[in-house]
This record gives sequence, structure tokens and C-alpha cells, in this order.
Amino acid sequence: MDVRDRNNVVVTGRPDGPVVLLAHGFGCDQNMWRLVVPALAAEHRVVLFDYVGSGRSDLSAWSEERYGSLDGYARDVLDVCEELDLRDVAFVGHSVSAMIGVLAAAAAPDRITSLVMVAPSPRYIDDDGYRGGFSAADIEELMASLESNYLGWSSAMAPVIMGNPDRPELAAELSDGFCATDPAIARVFARTTFLSDSRADLPDVKVPTLVLECSEDVIAPREVGAYVHAAVPGSTLVTLDATGHCPQLSAPEATAAAIAGFLRTRP
Amino acid sequence: MDGVGRVPGTAGAGGGDASADAAFTALLEDSERELYENAPCGHLSTLMDGTVAKINQTLLGWLGLTRDQVVGRMRFSDLLTVGGRLYHETHFAPLLRMRGEISGIALELRTAHGDRLPCLVTSVIKYGGADEPLLIRTTVFDARERRAYEEELLRGRQAAERAQRDAEEAQRQAEEAQRQAEQDRSRLKEALAALQQSLLPSTLPEVPGMEAASYYHTASPDRLGGDFYDLFPLDGKRWAFFLGDVCGKGPQAAAMTSLTRYTLRAAALHDPDPAVALTTLNTVLNERYSGGDPRYCTAIFGVLEPGDDGRTVTVRLASGGHPPALVIGGGRADPVPTTGGLLVGVLPDAHFAEAATTLEPGQTLLLYTDGLTEARIGPGRERFGDDALRDFAAGLTAASAGHVVTALTGLLEGFGDGLDDDTALLALGVPGSGAATDEDTP
Amino acid sequence: MTPFAITVHASEAGPVLRIAGDLDFNTASGLREEVRRVPLDPGRLLILDLTDLTFCDSSGISALIAARNRAVAAGAGIALAAVPPNTARILGIVGLDKVFPIHPDAATAAKTHETP
Repeated sequence: MDVRDRNNVVVTGRPDGPVVLLAHGFGCDQNMWRLVVPALAAEHRVVLFDYVGSGRSDLSAWSEERYGSLDGYARDVLDVCEELDLRDVAFVGHSVSAMIGVLAAAAAPDRITSLVMVAPSPRYIDDDGYRGGFSAADIEELMASLESNYLGWSSAMAPVIMGNPDRPELAAELSDGFCATDPAIARVFARTTFLSDSRADLPDVKVPTLVLECSEDVIAPREVGAYVHAAVPGSTLVTLDATGHCPQLSAPEATAAAIAGFLRTRP
Repeated sequence: MDGVGRVPGTAGAGGGDASADAAFTALLEDSERELYENAPCGHLSTLMDGTVAKINQTLLGWLGLTRDQVVGRMRFSDLLTVGGRLYHETHFAPLLRMRGEISGIALELRTAHGDRLPCLVTSVIKYGGADEPLLIRTTVFDARERRAYEEELLRGRQAAERAQRDAEEAQRQAEEAQRQAEQDRSRLKEALAALQQSLLPSTLPEVPGMEAASYYHTASPDRLGGDFYDLFPLDGKRWAFFLGDVCGKGPQAAAMTSLTRYTLRAAALHDPDPAVALTTLNTVLNERYSGGDPRYCTAIFGVLEPGDDGRTVTVRLASGGHPPALVIGGGRADPVPTTGGLLVGVLPDAHFAEAATTLEPGQTLLLYTDGLTEARIGPGRERFGDDALRDFAAGLTAASAGHVVTALTGLLEGFGDGLDDDTALLALGVPGSGAATDEDTP
Repeated sequence: MTPFAITVHASEAGPVLRIAGDLDFNTASGLREEVRRVPLDPGRLLILDLTDLTFCDSSGISALIAARNRAVAAGAGIALAAVPPNTARILGIVGLDKVFPIHPDAATAAKTHETP
């Protein structure tokens, strides 16, 4: 299957502008970005996609083997870059995607030349001398919540939600499908997200990096943001006056401004 | 206010005068606030960042908190368990922002006493005049009973999934075991085939001036046969051959066959006299297999020597208890009489019958084991028999070694499951003067 | 087809085993077993009465040889009686007609036996 269809790739904005690749995190899909896209599209070529297993991606391409590790998701990023032959990409990754971006940038330094980490956390579970904010039991509790809330997911609806990128009349149903995920796939993504440990990868980041944190984020608290900033060589830290884990929703203007400002500083 | 209008009407149908209507009105006015505070569900309103601005008494009661502890101090997600908070941040809040409402989400509240309170949460965003989001209104339903039931269902489903996984695993293991067994069986078959190969020549050598053909049938593919034959050069001129049948079947018979074959080959090179070769074999087998489980074999051993005339071949034979060889050709099939030779290995001193014949061009010497003559045929399952074999062989219009073996192979295949023993055939022929010779033979 | 059976009785010379049916791969062990069991003193004669024998293959021949080995080991003699023509021919082919004394019937076999 074509990568564009497989990952539901959407390209918008100024065709000759510098490329911004927006990657969603665990939970929803590329619609997470829709409040910041207009602000970025004026100057940039904006590329959006859904990881396989999320949004309107092709579920038949999903396998636990590939998507049981962050490398599988990074492979999706590289596939999209190669399919569109993207160069000099600014990769904006929300939450777990920030760490996926680290892996992708390491694998394709010729394509991904800067990183924006939105509400990143390299490790969610507390560790010896490290505070990620959660225990393994907390993650199990999340799993239980996933079990209890299918959010409109039903296998009968899956093909409608996932498989018809070429049928615009289904756009109205999109907001219903938003966040609806096959529970089995969601479980794997949740485990991959919350049980991974990417701390060791951070010192190896070689590209200019913006760490964008929220002032009050229960998932990625400020001390985690400070940890990432300290660990990524030469990174810039910006703290948004925003509550929650999704500043692109709760403070879209400030988020877009911070991203655009960082992109302007790039050579 | 449809509801308000309808309630007095309903009540009025039961009893109403003007003073009762007034009492209802007063009650209802009072109950709007009363209803909010003590509704059978929790109510709360928060700012867009989740800070609690208003909360009803019902929810405070469930939480075990006072209004002062909550309002302006806590966010909605602070009321949740940690796992619920993760879910709130990754799913609930983004969805609410996107859609403006979200309903029936199962979450758990954490009470001041440390208990968990399963609930179903519905939230709606209230927008201002310019469509800007102002606040979030949230309703919380007690879902303890429902969740207990759902968890039962969930456990049931998980148990079913587990059972299915277990069943699939068991099936996988069974398939693996079967695959393993098939592999073992095929390995064993290979080993048996290799062993069987070592008991027989892989191909018959080319004997100058002669044609040789052979056939070998084992009664069962996973059982080693007890029949054997061989053909090999003695010196520049003479060739030796033998064919025989070891009593019994299986590995022990195969071991004896192996001993027999290599003893005969070695004995022949030492002294090519047929009776001497069998005597050597007799000594070896009798020493090896004396006792309560006597083992022996039948065998014909022979030496081929081209005649001085360059046309005929002289055959000298010795037999130990083996059915006589047949000379086939010219519409005849005559036994070379070797009756009276003793089974090989039975007694320490054994006598073997000796005979000699000359093969003319167009004649073939056939050696066979009794699997051929003892096959059961026909509706009465009678034994095929020596006489029938002789008649069949005499009736062959073509008597070259190849033709004889081909014809007998066809005959054996016709026996079907009547052929219940191993069978070996070895045919040694002197080709006729021309290709037409065979065909001209009546 | 005569079912395979062995009956044992005594003669003045020694035990007589009367074998009926096919003596082949499936039944030969029965004869071996019977031969092992039958009491046989030195100087006596073990008579195998083959009147009702319908067939004898190489396994049967084996059992006959085992019977002979048993008799020899016991210091006794062995004789075959009433050998059917087909079996007689086989015994001739395998040379056992010179190894086993053969008599027309069990009574003759018993009578001709000389007690040493």
C-alpha cells in the first residue's frame, strides 16, 4: 500500500515553504494539530500524518511486532519522509512523538534537521534518582481506563473511520472517529509509550532542538522538561503558560508562535 | 420551562386547589438550588484549565471533601486516580476540546478516604458570544453497580480470550508435536533406507558380454527387508553373484544380512569356489547365531565365466536351502537342480548342493526369493507356487534379463496385497545374437 | 483354512506334538513355546506330527530347527512324521530332509525309536 494512504498523509500550507512535519502522540491523531496548522501554514509546507494504528491509517498494515517498539513508529516517520522525499524537515513531535523524532533524526540526519519536542518525556515511570511522575501500577490503571472506554470504537465502524481517505463525505464523521482506536492497538501503543525509556538517546541528539513544555502538565511535569533540556545538547527550553498535556489545543496561538519563532532561528 | 409547567399539572390532577398550586410553586423555586446541590448525580463547573469553580454537595459528599478544599484549589483531574488522569490528558481533554462535549466516559474518582469511586462522566463546554470557550460543565454519575457488572463482563471476555489463546497455543503445540513426529518418522525412514541401501548394490555393475537386471521389494517401507543379492568382479575374467533370504525381518535380520553380504564378498575373493564360499558363511553364521534362537539364511552363490567360444557363459552354483535358479529362454524355464543343500548357519557341518550350467545366447539365469512363489493370489488366496512361476517364465516371448525382470515386476504388482513378503530378483542373461532373437523365441 | 493348533500327547517313545494349520511368521512362536514347555528326558524322542500341516514357510522352518536344537540340548532325539508333500519338497530344498529323520506317521516314528 502507498505510504500516503497507509499513514493518511495530508500536505498543506505554502508549497515552497520549509517543511514542518507534525506528529501526533499517543491517544488521538493528526487532528490534534488543527488549531496550530493555520498559523504555521502561512509560511511553511505543513505535513500531517497518522501513525499506523491511529486515526485514519490503514489498520491492515499494523502489527504488534513492528508497533510494539518506538522504532516501528520512527520507521513510519522515515517512510513518510522518503515517500514525499522531504529534506531539511523540522519535525514537531507531541508527547511520545518527541522521542520518536529523536530516533528518526538519528536514522536520517540528512532529512530531519531540527526537532521541536512538545510536552516530551523520555521516561514516564519513576526510576532510581529520576522522577517521571508515574509508577508501573499507574500505567496499569491507564490500561484499565482504555479497556473501559472504547470511545465510539466498534469493529463495524473501523473501516468507515480508517479506510476511506478518498471519501470526503465521511469528513463529517471524522470528529466521531477522532480518538477512536482499536482497543488492542491502543493497548500496544500505550505500553510502548509509557514503558519505554529514551533517556539514553537524548545526549546523542545532533540537531537544533526546541523543548516546549507546559507550565502545568500532569503527564510531563516541569522537572521532566528540565531534564530533557539538560540532556539534549544545545537545546532551547520554552515554557508555555498552559495547563494540561496538549498545548496545541489549550494554547494554540502560543504554541504556534513558539514553533514558528524557533523555525525562524534555523539557518 | 416545560418541566416546571408539567409538574403542577400532573400533581393537580391528583388533588389541586389554588393553595396547593402555590405550595408546589414555592417548593419548586426552593428546589432549583436544592436540586443542584442534592441532585442524584455530581455536578461541577471548571474553568478551561480545569480549575473547579463550582461543585455540588452530592459530589463533595462522595469525595469526602469540603467546598473550601476544592473550589479554586483543585482541578478536575486532581479528583481522578492517576491512571484516570493519564486517560483524561490523553483522551478526555483533547476530545472535549475538539467536540465541545464528551459523554459517558468511565473514570474513577479518588475520595478523601482513599477509596475509589467508579463513575461515568459527561462534560460540555460553554462558549461565549464570540464562540470562545468559557467553562466546562461536568456531570458525574455513580457507576459502582454498573462498573462492577461491566468488570464482570470484562473479566468474562478476558477469560474467554485467554481460553481462546490457550486453545490456540494447545493447537499450536499439537501441530508442533505432529510436525516433530513426522520429522522423526521421516528421519527414521531415511535411516532405514540408507541401511537398506547398504545391504544391496546401488546399481548393478556392467558385466562384459552379459546383461544383468534386478528387482527388490520390501513388504513394508518402515521395515528392513531380509532379502539380499550382489554381483561383483572376482578377477579380470570372472564375476561372482549371490542372492538369498535371511530368516526373520527387522533390524536383527538386517544385521545378519549385512554380515552375510560382506562375509560372502570376502570369502569369494579368498576362494571363489561357490561351495567353499557358502561353507565359510555357514561357519560364521553358526558361530554367531547358535542357541535357542537359531538364525540362518538361504542363499545361492555363483560364479560366471565366459566360455572360450566367446558366445556362452559358464555358471557354477552352490545353494544352501534356496529355491533353484531357473534358466529361461527358448520357450522353456528349467530349474538348475540344487536341492539338498542345507540352510546356511543351521549346523556346524553343512553340505551344500552344487551344480553347473552353460548359458547360451538368448538365455537368462533367474534367481529369486520365495516371496515371489509364496505370494497369495486369486480369490482362494492360494500360493503362487513354483510351477506357476516356471510356466510364466516359459511363456515369456522375450527372455533377456531386462525383459524377465520387467515381466516379473508386472506380475508382482498384479498380486497387490497378496505379496506380503520381501522379494528379490536377480537376472543374468547372455544377449542373443541379434535384437530379433528374443522376439523370435516362441 | 485350518486354524493353527498344537495338540500334545504321549507315545511310548516320547511326546508327540501334532501341528495343524499354517506354520508361518504368525504361528511359529506358538510351536517354539510348546517345544520349550514339553517335558523331554534324555534318550526320549520328540515327534512332530505334521499330518494336518497346511503350509510351512521360513519362519516355520526356523521353529522346526529350534525344536531340533532343544531335543539335541536335552540329549533326546527328534523325528518328523507324516510330512505333507509340499513341506517335504521344501525340506528337500533346504536340505533338512537329511537332518530330520522322517516317518510316514507318528506310530511308526515311535516304534522305530530305539531306546539307548
